[in-house]
Amino acid sequence: MSDSNNKWFSLNIGRKDREASKSCSCGKTSGGCGGSSNAHHITEDEFTEAAIHASIGEERTKDGFEQVFDVKMDRRSAFKKLTASLLIGAGAVSTSCSVISGDESKEKAQIDWEEQFKGNYKLMTDDEKKATVDRLVRSYQLRTGKTISMSSKNAEDNVLFGYAFNISKCQGYMDCVNACVEENNQDRDSQMQYIRIHEMKDGKGFNFNEADDNYYHEVPAEGHFYMGTQCFHCDNPPCTEVCPVQATWREDDGLVVVDYDWCVGCRYCMAACPYDGRRFNWSKPEVPEAEINKNQHYLGNRMRKKGVMEKCTFCVQRSRAGKNPACVEACPTGARIFGNLLDPDSTIRWVLENKKVFRLKEDLGTEPKFWYFMD
Amino acid sequence: MKNNVNIMSKIVCFSFCLLACFSCKHHENEYHSITDKIEAESKNYQGTSISSEAHIGDIKTIEITEGEHTFLIPERKSQITSYACTECHTKSLEQMQTKDFQQAHWDVKLDHANSNTMNCLTCHNGSNMDHLTSLTDQSIDFNSSYNLCSQCHTTQFEDWKGGAHGKRIGGWAPPRASMTCVNCHNPHKPHFESRWPARFNTQKVKERE
Repeated sequence: MSDSNNKWFSLNIGRKDREASKSCSCGKTSGGCGGSSNAHHITEDEFTEAAIHASIGEERTKDGFEQVFDVKMDRRSAFKKLTASLLIGAGAVSTSCSVISGDESKEKAQIDWEEQFKGNYKLMTDDEKKATVDRLVRSYQLRTGKTISMSSKNAEDNVLFGYAFNISKCQGYMDCVNACVEENNQDRDSQMQYIRIHEMKDGKGFNFNEADDNYYHEVPAEGHFYMGTQCFHCDNPPCTEVCPVQATWREDDGLVVVDYDWCVGCRYCMAACPYDGRRFNWSKPEVPEAEINKNQHYLGNRMRKKGVMEKCTFCVQRSRAGKNPACVEACPTGARIFGNLLDPDSTIRWVLENKKVFRLKEDLGTEPKFWYFMD
Repeated sequence: MKNNVNIMSKIVCFSFCLLACFSCKHHENEYHSITDKIEAESKNYQGTSISSEAHIGDIKTIEITEGEHTFLIPERKSQITSYACTECHTKSLEQMQTKDFQQAHWDVKLDHANSNTMNCLTCHNGSNMDHLTSLTDQSIDFNSSYNLCSQCHTTQFEDWKGGAHGKRIGGWAPPRASMTCVNCHNPHKPHFESRWPARFNTQKVKERE
């Protein structure tokens, strides 16, 4: 974490003289280089100081009273920050400097430390992206003994993802919802789902007030039609504008994604989305170990924590590899069409150019890349 | 302390000016709408390195060209369990319908249009069981059975060629592979069955109580 080319806060800013104390020169990240030289060992004091510096930064030049009461933040958050980083520091120190604890727990502590103070994924270089993905994979391995594969594949040039939904084909079977939950490791307890299928009365148009999005009877029901909503991956997304920490953004291939580790869970984006496309983890997502999809992407279906936003990513782990999103693959009626909007020969382009397509709330100027059409 | 405040306010002022000059929103409204953007940006489309070929899997495909569309469809004949038909249909239909022969196709009940429009011989050729037959008695291969369906279902055929009807196999990237009619529709009973939804969200019910 002492790289000088980091674009975010790092422990070394303005404190070059302390550099030697931050990492071992042996290059091992597990924390236990085993060298006899004392210079390479992080003393408890230095570690704590680093932790304080990490949490309150330049304010540490002031004395203790000023630090807490004379800064432009409310007291509660000041206390919180101080205590949190002290705890983290103490925890890291106790595990990484302990003689008793094994190499594994030291490595775990080191990973936790680096993950805690890593930057925003959006600003990372490819190497940094790979490093955090490797850390997450290793951390999962250390914790569960299972190996997952996680990708940090970037958006491809000449790709802009788009989606079309045929409302005369959808029969309301909800196979897409099942596939989505399994593919994206969604919490089984809270039954949070990215996709909603709305059952609407024929002849009433898109009347969401009277639509039923949680039906359970034989489908298709007489006199009804079905339409699905999810994140529409707007080209001009209002949700990303309101994020106070820029934890959500639009990727170059048009996917609107969330960095779950940067999200603070304020849910502004949820309020800003005019399509109810975003979901919040009110509880810690639980997925039975056997059902975890191990083919993951940093911005996609990796395991989330409590208190962060998530949403449909057009299955970034699949779509960037050339596969269709899980919902498209699961749909037995072929109502869902996915593809590259920039490819003039793609099927999605044919649909847009030859069918009568429309989008929801077009007048908002959000430019959703999710079109509806009929036979 | 006062000095500090002075410096601080200068810094704030300066950074505000900088912000105003280098506002992050340069490229907004470069295009009037997403359709304009798609049109402009795809003019010089160079293709991508992403291919869906690997995701088609073990499905044996054949390439077809219909109008200006060329794509893959699953090969059919090897998937029909009792093909070739002439392995059993060694005699004429009249002879085979006598009691001396084992009964077959008892599970096939035609539920496709009404009996005025269709019967077995609309599609099957009694004297050439290994091939299908068009309305004008032209022979149609089982592998290209879509030519049979397209005789009546013309709009569906157009949509299928373009990609609006019929599910893709594999992924979104080229090469395109699409299901053909009989991969989703049973030709003897082509409509989709009604059934129960795959899941029910019990939590949502509780939340809305």
